[in-house]
Amino acid sequence: MKKTGITLAVIAAFSLGVTACGESSETMESAPDVAPIVAEYSVENAWARTSPMEATMGAVYMNITSTMDDALVSASVPMDIAMMTQVHETTMNEDGTMGMQEIESVPMTGKTALVLEPGGYHIMLMELVKPLAVGETVPVTLTFASGATTTVDAVVSEEAP
Amino acid sequence: MKKTPHLATTILLSIPLLFGCASESSSLMGMTRESPLEVGLISLPEVSTSSQSETPFTFKAESDQLLVVFFGYTMCPDICPTSLSDFRAALRRMGSDSDRIDLAFVTVDPERDTADKLIPFISSYATRFHAVRTTDQDQLSIAQDAFLVRSSVSTDANGHVQVTHTGTAFVVNSNGQVVSELPFGIGSDGMENDFKVLLNNIDKEAN
Repeated sequence: MKKTGITLAVIAAFSLGVTACGESSETMESAPDVAPIVAEYSVENAWARTSPMEATMGAVYMNITSTMDDALVSASVPMDIAMMTQVHETTMNEDGTMGMQEIESVPMTGKTALVLEPGGYHIMLMELVKPLAVGETVPVTLTFASGATTTVDAVVSEEAP
Repeated sequence: MKKTPHLATTILLSIPLLFGCASESSSLMGMTRESPLEVGLISLPEVSTSSQSETPFTFKAESDQLLVVFFGYTMCPDICPTSLSDFRAALRRMGSDSDRIDLAFVTVDPERDTADKLIPFISSYATRFHAVRTTDQDQLSIAQDAFLVRSSVSTDANGHVQVTHTGTAFVVNSNGQVVSELPFGIGSDGMENDFKVLLNNIDKEAN
């Protein structure tokens, strides 16, 4: 299985937590004895489906794992690929039809992969500047609720890897 | 919007039920009915690039062939490209037998899916295709009712067009009967299986 390895330390998560608890500056001063909380993120099988001719929409899929509880809150791609990027979820309605909607935050439970796949969560590329062609890569920047960001290359292919 | 189960989960849970609907002698993976849906009398306009004119398209396969019908829209980023990519992959593996399968794509978003958008979109997935489009909502509803398909196009508070539609692909024979209903998520293997089984059945009946 192809793995795009990404590891980054999220010191922001630690400092945010302290602030949220309303700790005094004294606590902050004593903090050096505490190891910063570090989250490791890994992304596997990042891919974007080829877009048919004349299509203005595209979709990116991947599996994201974090060692800490977090949430995917947004995604973006360079403007020379798509003008707008959103995190979406496809759901089945009561009448059996399928629709999709933008999702503001997709929760991630530590160590359990957040799966973005056809028919479920996906990163939607809107107003594609040009069709997505086989072999190209789309750099996708993911932003998490913790404040961490990371960029992965999604490989354009006709089928899931 | 009402929160409903994740589609991928729903499909996985429903596939065993679909198996249960198939007769024991059948090896079809799609859903079958004791009384198949009859769609052969339904007709909608087919658009083409070669002329501005429209020709009536009837939902029937040619003799000894199959017709696969899908309702969707070209600005669909997830469901339609997934199903149509599965269809394309299945046909690529079938060699010359793929010449016996046509694709009809009926747009449920005709206002935005004009012929100049619809035809390039479908031609990305099939060589033997029919781009079907009507702006007459009643006419579209009659066709959808025959397939038990539902769709809606609306604009949300942010001005974004929201489209919902049934994601099933329908396999129709030359009598205009739906002989297999392929749910979203059945994949290219499932489609290939049913196409082969159904073409074999046609050949057996012919001999």
